[in-house]
Amino acid sequence: MMDVYANAASIIPIDRYYEYDLYDLVIESFKNLEQQYDTSSRGIDLIIVANAYSQKLNSNSLIGPKIAKKLGKTDIPSFRVENGDASGGTALLMGYSAIKSGLAKSVMIIGVEKQTDYPSKYFNEVLSTCLDEQMYYNGVTPHSIAAIMMKKYMSKYNVPREYFANWAIKMHQNAVENPFAYLRFTVDLNTILSSQIVSDPIRLFDIGARADGASIVILSSEKTSESIKINKIESTQSRLDFSPSLPSIKTLRSKIEIKDVNRTLFEIHDSYSVIAAIMLEELGITEPGKSLYNLDSLNVNLSGGLKARGYPGGASAVYQLSEVYMQLLGTFKGKKITDAERSIIISSDDLGLVSYGIELTR
Amino acid sequence: MKIAPPQVWRNKKFMYKLIASKCRKCGNIDFPYSPYCTKCGNSDVEKTELSGKGKLVTFTVSYQSREGFEKSLPSIIGLIRLDEGAEIIAPIVDTEIDKLKENARVEATLRRVYTDSYNGLIQYGIKFRVVEE
Ligand SMILES: [Zn+2]
Repeated sequence: MMDVYANAASIIPIDRYYEYDLYDLVIESFKNLEQQYDTSSRGIDLIIVANAYSQKLNSNSLIGPKIAKKLGKTDIPSFRVENGDASGGTALLMGYSAIKSGLAKSVMIIGVEKQTDYPSKYFNEVLSTCLDEQMYYNGVTPHSIAAIMMKKYMSKYNVPREYFANWAIKMHQNAVENPFAYLRFTVDLNTILSSQIVSDPIRLFDIGARADGASIVILSSEKTSESIKINKIESTQSRLDFSPSLPSIKTLRSKIEIKDVNRTLFEIHDSYSVIAAIMLEELGITEPGKSLYNLDSLNVNLSGGLKARGYPGGASAVYQLSEVYMQLLGTFKGKKITDAERSIIISSDDLGLVSYGIELTR
Repeated sequence: MKIAPPQVWRNKKFMYKLIASKCRKCGNIDFPYSPYCTKCGNSDVEKTELSGKGKLVTFTVSYQSREGFEKSLPSIIGLIRLDEGAEIIAPIVDTEIDKLKENARVEATLRRVYTDSYNGLIQYGIKFRVVEE
């Protein structure tokens, strides 16, 4: 079995790009990539596009081959994977498997999501298609599901509403230092507690900030001086559990090794502050019911997370991997972890049903 | 949300009735009905109609609009534990938000869910209301 390395990574700032469509976003990210990695001379065997909502939000299907064509790689086999906001994790697993098995030597993983063209009521409609049919047809949104999990968490651990604000405060502090982040400002408790109620008790600042983005990673069997090793990618899934729990993450804990927490960089899928809290706890990184009181002692989401770096839908895991790649090489432009040798990425859909655990070492 | 007449027809099993499956192996109840138990994978399941009576475990008040559901805002979305043991997520109606309490007894009631203004279709569905004990 081949070893798998990430050999180059590119991101563009998460933002509302009125001038750019889906393809323009990818092209911008690709231009950045080309400055560090010449894809023409080094060769790409396969292109995998991670994207969740292009058919509904951009009226575009068959985007894999279309993207390849726009990048001047018309003949390279390309496809899109859709697994909701976990699409990026799925794409990485596909690329990793292709190299591991010897099917491909070099795979370009492109994460892209263009989410800002429509008003929120249509956007919520699209996000809600991820829910089971009975909930979808009854007008339920993922925000309401997360709100119910938050209420169950509050009563289970007897924590106040304020507890969850710690996540947003920390993520915004991190994002201020990240030039690629969407929301580069700090927030205080008062701002968070007086922000718009979305689905009580969830307020605006409890939710990842969705916007547009594109990120590209080159996976390869070739080890270079710019390589970060992908040790493994594990995949789990489960159904909703209002106890509240994230069984997919609990299962991941037995498949990936959580050790040396102080010297490990964690990038988790913080679609909601309550999901972030439960993830940290299910992974065994923090004590149940207390994670958000202990954020200062952890290297978690130094990018600013989905909350403040921004939430690029199905491209999220590709952003996570790109940022971790830069962190472990020491080239990340935001808040840095100094002596980390290891990183764990958790990629999920917004409600944590499908999860991927990705282990990387320098 | 676009709705086609065949969809409304097909959805009747979970929008108009609480048709569920009960696993003969592990006892798990799935709503909507599933020919394979979602807990243990067993295909030996029994079709059953749930009573629609249960307890409101908890709820959220949603202020976030979805296309086609604008008129129902703010809407109360409840997590309901039915007497048969299944948990379902559904809208709660006929109640004042301030007076709604966790653990209240609730029962199913058929209500209008959504009107498709384009072709005049009305989708009805099962919501829940609080009942006095
Ligand atoms: Zn069963």
